Amino acid sequence: MEGASHQRFPTVKIRELKDDYAKFELRDTDASIANALRRVMIAEVPTIAIDLVEIEVNSSVLNDEFIAHRLGLIPLTSERAMSMRFSRDCDACDGDGQCEYCSVEFHLRAKCLNDQTLDVTTRDLMSSDPSVVPVDFADSSSGFDNPENRGIIIVKLRRGQELRLRAIARKGIGKDHAKWSPAATVTFMYEPEIHINDDMLETLAIEDRISLAESSPTKVYDYDPITNRVVVVDPEAYTYDDEVIKKCESLKVPGLIEIHPKEDSFIFTVESTGAIKASQLVLNAIDILKQKLDAVRLSEDTVEADDQFGELGAHMRGG
Amino acid sequence: MNAPDRYERFVVPEGVKKVSYERDTKIINAASFTVEREDHTIGNILRMQLHRDPDVLFAGYKLPHPLQYKIIVRIHTTSQSSPMQAYNQAVNDLDKELDHLKNAFEAELAKHSREY
Repeated sequence: MEGASHQRFPTVKIRELKDDYAKFELRDTDASIANALRRVMIAEVPTIAIDLVEIEVNSSVLNDEFIAHRLGLIPLTSERAMSMRFSRDCDACDGDGQCEYCSVEFHLRAKCLNDQTLDVTTRDLMSSDPSVVPVDFADSSSGFDNPENRGIIIVKLRRGQELRLRAIARKGIGKDHAKWSPAATVTFMYEPEIHINDDMLETLAIEDRISLAESSPTKVYDYDPITNRVVVVDPEAYTYDDEVIKKCESLKVPGLIEIHPKEDSFIFTVESTGAIKASQLVLNAIDILKQKLDAVRLSEDTVEADDQFGELGAHMRGG
Repeated sequence: MNAPDRYERFVVPEGVKKVSYERDTKIINAASFTVEREDHTIGNILRMQLHRDPDVLFAGYKLPHPLQYKIIVRIHTTSQSSPMQAYNQAVNDLDKELDHLKNAFEAELAKHSREY
């Protein structure tokens, strides 16, 4: 079972990196790998989210299931998730999903005692594990503009209203429920290659050159008044809208500008919900994809069964 | 109230094989692989990797129905190879490619964190 290898050696260049945002170039591979990475980042990289809520007292205006749903959607810091167990295959707790290997417990107690409305936020959620807490946007590099950080509001209480509950957070993936998805957005685009034919440009009047540069809805081209030429300033601003191609045709110079997507170069943007760092999200996605590939390898008994069949087949064919 | 459990989309049921293999009865060196609980993520990268192999005459995959959580990969090769050999080679090559990609990304990450 030894064949020639047709392996590729992809290259990566990181352009911009923040805790919850990454932009990078992926080259020397094809769209199938880029798309597989994108799909895995959205639906198969595990995080931790609240999955079970036991409500002791709830006299707020929101009903129990409404609050349980809101709790589920709160992003929790999930660096631990990759090494945690799924509660369905945890043998330490007979699958009830309440042991330290597969779950994290939260408690919330809030009661409004005065005339001012009380905001119950993620800051009131008390975690049993200091490494799994609601995401705090205040210290992330992008941050919210809000000077007083209050966390995410869960419910508002009036005088005399009370909320008391216990919640269990578990490991899960976005395929199960979107609350477990660590990705806010993941996109990739083909890198465009733009060629301007300067000889054909010569045949155009100055005002036509200016209108050509301005015909793109995004700022891809500029008119240089010194050399009288149209130049490409930002090829990546091109949205594959074909507007300049149409403009060239209407100016009776089809082919003046030619644009080709480079089919082996991609520009990725990854935004995280804050559950894990954007850079870690990419690395985890590669790991998960490797695990998935490992799982689809042929098992020994399949190969053996075929070997026997092969002899039988050769026999039947008269071999 | 009779909705199937959500985990049925990605947990292989007990007693079911992850990958099963079926030879084509009429064409030599043609076979179908049924992969349980996988989708376009695995199907498409396998297909594209198989296309890089010159001994593969045909490689395609289908997701028969959105509520049947399996894909079928069909491979037809020349007599120099076999569908099983091509399949194993494709999985190995993809695995090595991802190893390389991981190292490349980690190296870039280290470089990036030094610069800033």
